[in-house]
Amino acid sequence: MAVHAIPRISTDSGRTAGRRHLLSVATAAVLAALALPALANPQASDLVKTELIAELGAVRAAEPFWVGIRLTMKEHWHTYWRNPGDSGEATQVRWTLPPGFSAGELQWPAPSLIRVGPTASFGYEGEAILVTRITPPQRLEPGQDVQLSADVAYLVCEKICIPGEAKVSLPLAAVGSETPSGPHAEVFAQARRKLPQPSPWPARFAADAKTITLTFDTKDQGASIRAATLFPHDNLLIDNAAPQGLETADSTRLILARSALAAATPSAIDGVLVVEEDLGGRTVTHAFAVSAGDAGAAGVTQGGIGLLPAILLAMLAGIILNLMPCVFPVLSIKVLHLTQQAGETAARVRLHGLAYTAGILASFAALAGVLHAVRAAGAEVGWGFQMQSPAVVAALAFVIFAMGLSLSGIFTIGTALARVGNTTLAHAPGLTGSFFTGVLATIVATPCTAPFMGAAIGFALTQSFPTALTVFLALGFGLAFPLLVLSVVPRWRHWLPRPGPWMDTLKQLLAFPLYATAAWLIWVLSQQVGSTGLLAALSGLVLIGFGAWTFNMARERHGTFGRVLQGVAAVCLIGVAALAATVETDRTGSGAITAATSAAEAEPFTQHKLDALLASDRPVFVNLTAAWCITCLVNERTALSTDAVREAFAQSRVAYLKGDWTNRNPEITRMLERFGRSGVPLYVLYRRGKDPIVLPQILTESLVIDHITRL
Amino acid sequence: MNRRGFASISLATAAGLLLLAGGGSSVNADPRVGQPAPNFTATDSNGKKVSLGDQRGKTVVLEWTNDGCPYVRKHYNAKAMQALQKKWTAQGVVWLSVISSPPGEQGYADGKLANRLTEERGASPTAVLLDPGQQVARAYRATATPHMFVITAKGSVAYMGAIDDNPSYSGDPRKAKNFVDRALTEVKTGKPVSNPSTRAYGCAVKYTS
Repeated sequence: MAVHAIPRISTDSGRTAGRRHLLSVATAAVLAALALPALANPQASDLVKTELIAELGAVRAAEPFWVGIRLTMKEHWHTYWRNPGDSGEATQVRWTLPPGFSAGELQWPAPSLIRVGPTASFGYEGEAILVTRITPPQRLEPGQDVQLSADVAYLVCEKICIPGEAKVSLPLAAVGSETPSGPHAEVFAQARRKLPQPSPWPARFAADAKTITLTFDTKDQGASIRAATLFPHDNLLIDNAAPQGLETADSTRLILARSALAAATPSAIDGVLVVEEDLGGRTVTHAFAVSAGDAGAAGVTQGGIGLLPAILLAMLAGIILNLMPCVFPVLSIKVLHLTQQAGETAARVRLHGLAYTAGILASFAALAGVLHAVRAAGAEVGWGFQMQSPAVVAALAFVIFAMGLSLSGIFTIGTALARVGNTTLAHAPGLTGSFFTGVLATIVATPCTAPFMGAAIGFALTQSFPTALTVFLALGFGLAFPLLVLSVVPRWRHWLPRPGPWMDTLKQLLAFPLYATAAWLIWVLSQQVGSTGLLAALSGLVLIGFGAWTFNMARERHGTFGRVLQGVAAVCLIGVAALAATVETDRTGSGAITAATSAAEAEPFTQHKLDALLASDRPVFVNLTAAWCITCLVNERTALSTDAVREAFAQSRVAYLKGDWTNRNPEITRMLERFGRSGVPLYVLYRRGKDPIVLPQILTESLVIDHITRL
Repeated sequence: MNRRGFASISLATAAGLLLLAGGGSSVNADPRVGQPAPNFTATDSNGKKVSLGDQRGKTVVLEWTNDGCPYVRKHYNAKAMQALQKKWTAQGVVWLSVISSPPGEQGYADGKLANRLTEERGASPTAVLLDPGQQVARAYRATATPHMFVITAKGSVAYMGAIDDNPSYSGDPRKAKNFVDRALTEVKTGKPVSNPSTRAYGCAVKYTS
């Protein structure tokens, strides 16, 4: 409102003219004085009318009903969507409900794009109704008054922005019979039409450093799409003001520019897709709620493998696993055990082999089940997840140490392991012994990984549980295979040496690989917990030793003293379990892989850093590793920290990112999944202008240098 | 008009257009962390020309400001912004406050008003840049006030985004995690910036088109 110049009044008489002049001036001044404050300081409450409306006229016990926060904005002013875009703030609603009432999530109508200069925001002009469902308690006395209130905080902007707050409430009556519809029923019907509908088209996305491509499976409906805009829920995902490229060739594709505020690439993209379709001459606008899953990084050749290759790879991996230092001692004992059974019937030997296999298969099935359950519960974990928990690592160290003690002869327990060396048939272990040896073999196998395991398990984890279980069972079968063959094909047993006192020496010798494994596990633990946790673990080892010795003493003494000793041994066992649990409480933030084993300029891996380096067109070498992954550590020592490799990196200006998965890290888990893996190690070389390549899990110096020089 | 006249006018127009195009900031891509910061030349509140290229060798902070904006006021009323400016300019950082509001919009200030605001608020920026034509704002894609940028002595963007982690217009800014202070400390000690880019919050920059 402008204050116009005061018109000259021509009059006949000088004095009357002067008085009228004065009156005009005075009136104008007063009007101006009244108007100016309103101009200078508009109140938020003048710009936005906030009210709480309900669909029904009354409420009934346990019957959910819909309410809405209706915001009516003054012309040219707008409030914001749940993702406000480049600037602004989303409207917030805080409910105050009577006891027993609960409110669901706020549902937002599809927003509009609001452009201001080079920026873009998402919000509403005119009117917006944010709806939500309220659920009354199971018991609600009819006749009482129910008061629903909400605190609504919003930002309303035109050119300037004004934050506002409004408290709204709505009294409703509780009834026992039919709930009448309220006066706003038609308003709610309209509001529902403005909410995003479930999308009829499945969506996937692929992301590279600069763009995100959304692909919608529109089949033959794609031809009628004239325009499409994605409003993502994530504020930092895309460049909100950049045009979104639409392609409707075979499927419908939307190409979005990523935000300069490059956040990590998400595992799913949620948002609202607003589509304009040409249906029978009319242009119709739809809003769909979309959730797009990751189709895999653009251009990555290593996606996944089929089911049959996965099964075969898993079996091969299982066989190789027998040679790993974790498993080898157990396998050797079992083989030695077989030599003892030279006098047994072939059928009985076969049964033992089958019992052992059954033990292994049952344990692998259990492991697959636990992994599946943990992932279904939402935790982003991969194979090796059990090693990311210090308590599990400590427990494994204890079990393996105890087994070593058993082989050393400190104590004997009623399993097949201890009976080796005893040639009398009467002491031949029962089938259950073989079964539990199988279980034990699986337990000690879990810290180790074999080549091919990564790809097989990576495939398994992307599939449904029955498929995943099949792959895991194939892995278990591979692990059991050598012994199964030996027990089922009697001819081969003739090649095994005859039993004798040498077996005792061998047994004691085989304790040492187990002790070495326990030592390595304690080293892994030292990366995951502080000194107190380490003390707990080491004390656990001492307690195991003492408990084992006490248990052994108890066996040789009968009567009360023997029982007392057995009790002491039991107490030691409980103490060990408690210590394993306390270890968990002393976690340190991140596992720090010792710098000595790494190449000089390795930076910690984050998706953000990777994207930034790729955007600056540098080749990047990503090494995903963990302290409990022996293959990783061997590769680092032999292939990645040698001078020649370091020089090659420096000469080709390759950036080196190292991801430490010793403890849980969802970003690393997602990166692994993108390449079809579920466990470490993973070596990826990102090249300028070409697709990234995945290096094999067993590296050699020449292989690495070869790839770098061929960049 | 004769041919010579026409020729000279065309030449002059062409030259003028070229000057206009080139005289403004060099707008390339949007600023990205780790990339060279867009160069600009602007006039400060005392009429002096300030360009980013001249600041090589010193860390630079850009602070988009609008004195009428409640989010900016939150920081200035609590004297938190002034304390930050004083702390870092004492360590040799070049602090440039940028006013990109056009005439007639909230936050617009000419040189005299800008100096008066600086004095009244006890602020101590190295200079206050007047950007009513919004060239610097567009070069940096400034979206809000306050919108902060930290540029290293070598001229690359170390931090861009919000000033702290409390995106509301109320609350004590001294209790919030200040991204700028943290970034400047990390740049000074040679460490990588832990949170290099965030979404700036505040009042929208008053773009004209």
